[in-house]
Amino acid sequence: MKPLMLHGHERAITQIKYNREGDLLFSSSKDNKPNVWYSLNGERLGTFNGHQGAVWCIDVDWTTTRLISGGGDNTCRIWDCETGKEIGSIQTKSSVRTCLFSYSGNMALYSTDRAMKNNCEIFIIDVRTVDSSIGEADPILTIPIPSSDTRVSSILWDSLEETIITGHEDGALFQWDIKTGKSIKSVKEHSLLINDMQWNKDGTMFITASKDNTAKLFDALDLTLLKTYKTERPVNSAAISPIFDHVVLGGGQDAMDVTTTSTRVGKFDSRFFHMVFEEEFGRVKGHFGPINSVAFHPDGKSYSSGGEDGYVRVHSFDPPYFEYNFDY
Amino acid sequence: MKMTAVEELKSSRWADEVELEGGALPLPTEVIENGYKILTEYKFEGEKKVKVVRMHKIEKRIFSKSIAVRKTWKKFGESSNDKPGPNPATTIIAEDVYMQYITSKEEDNKQEDDGLDKLKSLGEKAAVKCRTCNGEHWTTHCPWKDTALAGGKVPDDKKGISGTNGEPSKTGNKYIPPSLREGAVRTRSDNPNMNRRDDISALRIANLGEDTTEQEIEDLVKPFGPVQKLFLARDKITGACKGFGYIHFKFKGDAAKAMQQLHGYGHNHLILIVDWSKPQQHNN
Repeated sequence: MKPLMLHGHERAITQIKYNREGDLLFSSSKDNKPNVWYSLNGERLGTFNGHQGAVWCIDVDWTTTRLISGGGDNTCRIWDCETGKEIGSIQTKSSVRTCLFSYSGNMALYSTDRAMKNNCEIFIIDVRTVDSSIGEADPILTIPIPSSDTRVSSILWDSLEETIITGHEDGALFQWDIKTGKSIKSVKEHSLLINDMQWNKDGTMFITASKDNTAKLFDALDLTLLKTYKTERPVNSAAISPIFDHVVLGGGQDAMDVTTTSTRVGKFDSRFFHMVFEEEFGRVKGHFGPINSVAFHPDGKSYSSGGEDGYVRVHSFDPPYFEYNFDY
Repeated sequence: MKMTAVEELKSSRWADEVELEGGALPLPTEVIENGYKILTEYKFEGEKKVKVVRMHKIEKRIFSKSIAVRKTWKKFGESSNDKPGPNPATTIIAEDVYMQYITSKEEDNKQEDDGLDKLKSLGEKAAVKCRTCNGEHWTTHCPWKDTALAGGKVPDDKKGISGTNGEPSKTGNKYIPPSLREGAVRTRSDNPNMNRRDDISALRIANLGEDTTEQEIEDLVKPFGPVQKLFLARDKITGACKGFGYIHFKFKGDAAKAMQQLHGYGHNHLILIVDWSKPQQHNN
């Protein structure tokens, strides 16, 4: 396959996301401009200019009309996808680490870092009508994370908009009821920071990617651990194929450790595992640094990865991938 | 849902340089033919005039209405000045990469077994052949080794058995086992032949260009079968190819095939001469 290399960022990619149909690919990076691309030919549609610091997270709503982004400049911003104009901006006390639209797009949430004597908090806001006054509006719900030694590092919103699942810095998973703002359940299967969580297609399971060198598959309802995918490097991102029982893991050693440890070719590969048998069956090379974010196209025929090297690579699978049968 | 067709530009680009006569630059052209949009531009690059040809494949795809609408969105932000189609500054077509499939352990074992089986079956047929009596054992184990048969028959048989493959060359250039010394002394003319038994599947390839490399030859002969040894004659001082080389195939059949195919084959504007490698003359 001939990947498309999207070179719109000057610094490391932090997150990439497809919209629902998969025709657009959004990318955020540590430079301050999220980008949007046509996934088919890699043409850049535009950049969202306004942030003044690293952009840690992005999300696009169901209808691809609005984009939410949060960054290290202590703001969470909502953008118009068509024009790239900023609709509203919310000032926070510390940097915004995660942000998400709910399935319907009526609500959005974002979480802030534990920093500058502020505890980590999760905010849920009403985004049915967004204008420049959103910064003054009160959030629907605020969930403070009480323990001072953990923060939310990734977040998911279930498709019925009744609960949210948070992954924490210490590897714990919490499920919260958003009516009461109370925690329903928590498990601790990872030993280190959970970098990323992504749903499978029908929202019954999700995969977590952790710094403890594993990715794990959980049941969404009761947070039961189903499968574990082991590697020998921190996993920064994991995604589940919408059409096959495949998962793709992206990772590599921590960016700060790259220069101090020996690099062997093959550590920055995207690694494909069989979802059920937990066995690796394929690798795709390409990035010159750790992969920070991976995403499957909603049709399952291509996937993209964004790396510490600042490139987004869009891969369209070759026919052998679709004919590949896992031996068991 | 209403379906709308949208034109899609997919780019593949290369630039080729053309020296033009005359001062002025020709005007850029845009031609659409066979589903390709070909853009030709001329520009100066220092002193040189450069012709840039861009080929865009025009694909028609059918999308749902919502996607089609999004295709018509105007570019914004840093891309607001970009022309329609991918901007080569931000969108690069990377080199081919392939998914490396990691086969499961069982499959690996199976493959090894296969190789072993192959070797075994080969062994049963003709991997080992006695040079003395033609039997299926090593020459040293031959029951006829010390008998008259050995002394008398060796020279004749050697020609017949010469196709034997797989037998390690036990008789080096200098050392000759005692059991064969007598024969060697008697029939000196046969000696080179015997010493160079592996030459049987060797080809001499000649009429090579001066700048030919081992790699080129290897690429040339690899498709025919496994190669045991490859030698390219080079000038001792300049290192330039002397115009010929030798290829030792593992199997004679492969060698024959290669000779048939490559003899008269055009390589680097020269027509190759391929023949069986002849036994060396007495000069060394």
